Amino acid sequence: MSDNNKLKIGIYELTGCAGDALLILDCEMELLDIFNAVDIQSFLMAKSDNIDGDLDVALVEGSVSTEREIEELKDIRKRSSIVVAFGLCATVGGIQARFSEEEWTQNLKEVYGDTEMTHTKAVHSKPIDAYINVDFYLPGCPVGKDQFLNFFTRVVQGAPPESYPVPVCVTCKYNENDCLLNKGIPCLGPLTADGCGSVCPNHDVPCYGCWGPAEGANLTSEYHLLQEKGFDIEAIKKRMSNYSGSKFQEFFEQFKNKESK
Amino acid sequence: MKIVKMKRENLSSFLEAISREAELWAPVKKGVDTHAFQVVKDFSEIDLNYTRTILPPRKILVPSRFNMFQATKTEYTPDFSHVSNKIIFGIHPCDISGLLTMDKFYSYAIEDPYYLESRKKAMILGHSCWPDEHCLCKSTNTHIVEEGYDLFFTDLKDFYLVWIGSTQGDDLIRLVPDLFEGEIADQDIQRFMQWREDRDKAYSSEINFVAMADLMELRYNDPVWAKLGEACLACGSCTNVCPTCNCYNVEDRPVLGAEHSNISRCWDACTLENYSGVAGGENFREKRADRLKLWYTHKLQAYISKYGKPACVGCGRCIATCPVDINIKTVSDSLDGANPDAFWNRLSQEVTK
Ligand code: SF4
Ligand code: SF4
Ligand code: SF4
Ligand code: SF4
Repeated sequence: MSDNNKLKIGIYELTGCAGDALLILDCEMELLDIFNAVDIQSFLMAKSDNIDGDLDVALVEGSVSTEREIEELKDIRKRSSIVVAFGLCATVGGIQARFSEEEWTQNLKEVYGDTEMTHTKAVHSKPIDAYINVDFYLPGCPVGKDQFLNFFTRVVQGAPPESYPVPVCVTCKYNENDCLLNKGIPCLGPLTADGCGSVCPNHDVPCYGCWGPAEGANLTSEYHLLQEKGFDIEAIKKRMSNYSGSKFQEFFEQFKNKESK
Repeated sequence: MKIVKMKRENLSSFLEAISREAELWAPVKKGVDTHAFQVVKDFSEIDLNYTRTILPPRKILVPSRFNMFQATKTEYTPDFSHVSNKIIFGIHPCDISGLLTMDKFYSYAIEDPYYLESRKKAMILGHSCWPDEHCLCKSTNTHIVEEGYDLFFTDLKDFYLVWIGSTQGDDLIRLVPDLFEGEIADQDIQRFMQWREDRDKAYSSEINFVAMADLMELRYNDPVWAKLGEACLACGSCTNVCPTCNCYNVEDRPVLGAEHSNISRCWDACTLENYSGVAGGENFREKRADRLKLWYTHKLQAYISKYGKPACVGCGRCIATCPVDINIKTVSDSLDGANPDAFWNRLSQEVTK
């Protein structure tokens, strides 16, 4: 707590597009309330007099992709009572984490060759919970306004954050969309965490999973369903692993094992 | 029960008259070949040539999310802003039966004012329909309703026969009595009887509902449940679209910059992963198979022992909705010993390959 009895908050960006940090600034109607309710100690995108001291809550956006970020993240953890994985990249690693260690090494070589890295060394991209304990996850690409404000307000009022994770299909049905999967369109709604308001199916566009994996997603069933609808393994893999970061890799490993057998 | 006749061309004048009394809801086209109940201002939007809407009309009475209270640390104020005078026009018999099932459920042990207040202020104007390949209401005996509506319109091409089910319904007719005729000619009656006979013959799908309660018990440990669990995507769609599903979750939603929280009520679905989760991180039904078993035993068995009827009204929505063929028809058929060509049967071959 700061002197004026407000929670000390820090907002940090690792490797990502900064869309989640921007989302906070995009809460235009609520912005004054947000800045009034807490003491924002560090928020690179919004202010210049940033202090990196002890915090009540740290919101961390982006995946961990360099050695320096590992140190930075561990330091944030040490200084903060609550650490929140803020957005898709922090929760599951994002697009940059969709590769296996092997593929990543290959990619790095292709892009940088033998160039010596002096500034900091690149590491295989991972979600932040690969390195530290995370107290709360807010998925989304970027996080939804409602989701963020709900979380933020609860934290400010001293109530534990509450979430009831459901897949995109739930909101999609509330919005009375005709199911795209039933029309042979490869929708990832059942595998994807809800929070976007099912915007894509609302416009007849299949969900491509940008909110990240839903809890308890049934990959096997969706995979075989898409196969039955005529999509091949590569197409399904591409689609399903676009936004699932490191989370679906294990699932696709089994096919590799099968192939090599 | 009184029956009157109305010429088809009088329908829009009638709707015009009643829409001045309350908010008018009716089926409109949504998407290429799907429909939804919506508030209508322009009557040309109404499309009565539909079989089932994606969501059942319960969404009109209890929306997917609404506030129950505004609460501060010391007091709370009930919020009934979702309740208003409504007329729901164009409801089919299965959905009227769905509302009758909800009525029992929401007033059985403890009365739910949020549903009941909303229900009291809604007038139900039913409309006849024609079955498609998914309609099972003849098997559930909900293809014809004798209660649960204020008016019921049976479409006989150039005229309607209109059943008056309540004094409130009668009052609507009295708003514009000139649009209706009390005399129904013999040929009109014959037309109606023929229509009934033809409609009864038009059902192409059926289920053995009578045996289901016992089969649920006898096949409680049948391996088919595990197969269903393998296929189920846990998307919650079957539950959200079912006219007799009524579970909900309540969440505190604090308001930033204010002293109060909104206590918000949102539909829940027992087929979802976190439905049976409790404090401490336990989950009583982590397995999809267990959740499906709950859904089907509740609908086809538990309801009968409590309310004397199964909770399926045969609307066919679960059949039209589930992406992996798990629905009242395929599940009942499997329990009844059949081996339907359903995704889960093909999937288990795939997985063990
Ligand atoms: S369209 Fe996609 S999100 Fe919507 S119900 Fe179907 S699978 Fe789920
Ligand atoms: S891709 Fe899926 S999760 Fe992302 S906005 Fe579209 S529907 Fe929502
Ligand atoms: S179980 Fe299926 S057919 Fe029966 S009422 Fe529910 S959605 Fe309709
Ligand atoms: S049975 Fe079908 S509709 Fe219901 S939750 Fe499972 S996959 Fe979704």
